[in-house]
Amino acid sequence: MIIKSSDQLPRNTLLKRFPVPKNFEVSPQSRIERGKTWPAPAGATSIKKFEVYRYDPETEKNPRIDTYEVDLDTCGPMVLDALMKIKDEIDSTLTFRRSCREGVCGSCSMNIDGTNWLACTRFITDTAEPATIYPLNHLPVIKDLVPDLTHLYAQYALIEPWLKTNSPVPERERLQTPEAADALNGADGKGPAACILCFCCTAGCPSHWWNGNRFLGPAVLLQAYRWLADSRDEATGERLDNLEDPFRLYRCHTILNCTRTCPKGLNPGKAIASIKKMIVERRN
Amino acid sequence: MTRDDRPLSPDIQIYRPQLTSVLSIIHRFTGIALSIGAPLMVWWLIAAAAGPAAYSALHGFLASWLGLVLLLGWTFSLFFHLCNGIRHLFWDAGYGFELQTIYVSGWAAVAISIALTLTSWIISFGMKG
Amino acid sequence: MAAKRLRSSFDRTQGLGSAREGVGHWWLQRVTAVALVPLSLWFAASLIACARDDYGALLLWLHAPHITVLMVLLLIALFYHMALGLQVVVEDYVHTDRIKIPTVIVIHLGCFGLAIAGVIATLRIAFGG
Repeated sequence: MIIKSSDQLPRNTLLKRFPVPKNFEVSPQSRIERGKTWPAPAGATSIKKFEVYRYDPETEKNPRIDTYEVDLDTCGPMVLDALMKIKDEIDSTLTFRRSCREGVCGSCSMNIDGTNWLACTRFITDTAEPATIYPLNHLPVIKDLVPDLTHLYAQYALIEPWLKTNSPVPERERLQTPEAADALNGADGKGPAACILCFCCTAGCPSHWWNGNRFLGPAVLLQAYRWLADSRDEATGERLDNLEDPFRLYRCHTILNCTRTCPKGLNPGKAIASIKKMIVERRN
Repeated sequence: MTRDDRPLSPDIQIYRPQLTSVLSIIHRFTGIALSIGAPLMVWWLIAAAAGPAAYSALHGFLASWLGLVLLLGWTFSLFFHLCNGIRHLFWDAGYGFELQTIYVSGWAAVAISIALTLTSWIISFGMKG
Repeated sequence: MAAKRLRSSFDRTQGLGSAREGVGHWWLQRVTAVALVPLSLWFAASLIACARDDYGALLLWLHAPHITVLMVLLLIALFYHMALGLQVVVEDYVHTDRIKIPTVIVIHLGCFGLAIAGVIATLRIAFGG
């Protein structure tokens, strides 16, 4: 079974999850319990079940899985449409992030059927029965499908994602050749600068699960590479110093879950390898 | 405003195993298996240096059922870690990051390591007679 | 826990700052890996070829100077690669310093000791009677 691009779905599912105990390394307050089932309205013919992670911070209760039966005849095609329909017609307390509904803002990133993707670009017909919807992995949950991204944003700030120059400010733009621009945007539009910071990759990285407090993760490292590769930036050495750390960069063991899951088809794994090559190059 | 009592969303408990993560963890397990076999290799050398008595004791264990099972596991670990290790070296050089290449090279590493394991064992048993 | 909340996310992410090193370990892991590709293939092939040999034949084989050299090179590359690899595994999964740091030290010293033991055993066979 050969995957050619990240939007390709696997044909078979040999293993739905790793063979670890159900509550492996799960703290008592994170343990998931069974929740309610919300049946479809009478007369609905095309019913699909969605099992959705729920958590209410206002109560002392643990997170739970609620099952919603959705009538697909009156629902849009995407998983986000189903979530909207559930919120509008079935359970208004369901909470999730969303904005553009066309796969460019990165708000609705979540774990659908075990892998991370944007809810607005995932067809319902491409999900399992029942479809399982969880928030992005290994992050504190604020409510339902809304994870706390504060730490990830702090890691992003750490790499100083802005142009750093010493040379005097030019009269007009800082010029760049088309090839140099392609290094950032990608000749196919899938370069590091095209990242929408949805954090699907970082949430799917086992190294970030185990060492996320110090390992920067693929999204942030992809952006670090974006600035390293920018011909107009003049702080390359300083940026590499900041990255060369056994935890910040070298917790990456090329697992490549990141490249596999990117909903925009970008390649964080390749960018991280390029950073490692630059670090070797500067001492050779 | 961060609270300390927020639940953590599940990770390995629900994430779908994919070729990427599965081959990576097998690479780690085989590495650990080889690390357990390496002292055994030193023991083998010391036994050989110590004399025929010490050597035949070790040889007896290796020829037992348990010893053969461990040797089979060790052989597969060696060949898989080697094939996947070469795949890693290509990545370190910057090659092979397109998803299709990741998948083709991954399946190739699995197939070649199984083939090498079977071949080496068949040949070894063939040498007996 | 309360003290943790008083620090900003950004400050906690900064930690003690970048170590500004790490490429040495990464590079040596790759160099020993490259050395191990031919060396481990040679070792596996030799084991298969000598699978049914008796003790005397084994000693004769290890006596040959080029075999001694290859064996010593294999032991050095293997145990260095193993020490670096196991260190990374421990750093990944063990986060309490008072367990992690002694474990990493033991791994390095243990691998060094095993390598020396293996080399000395090999040399004893090579130079012995």
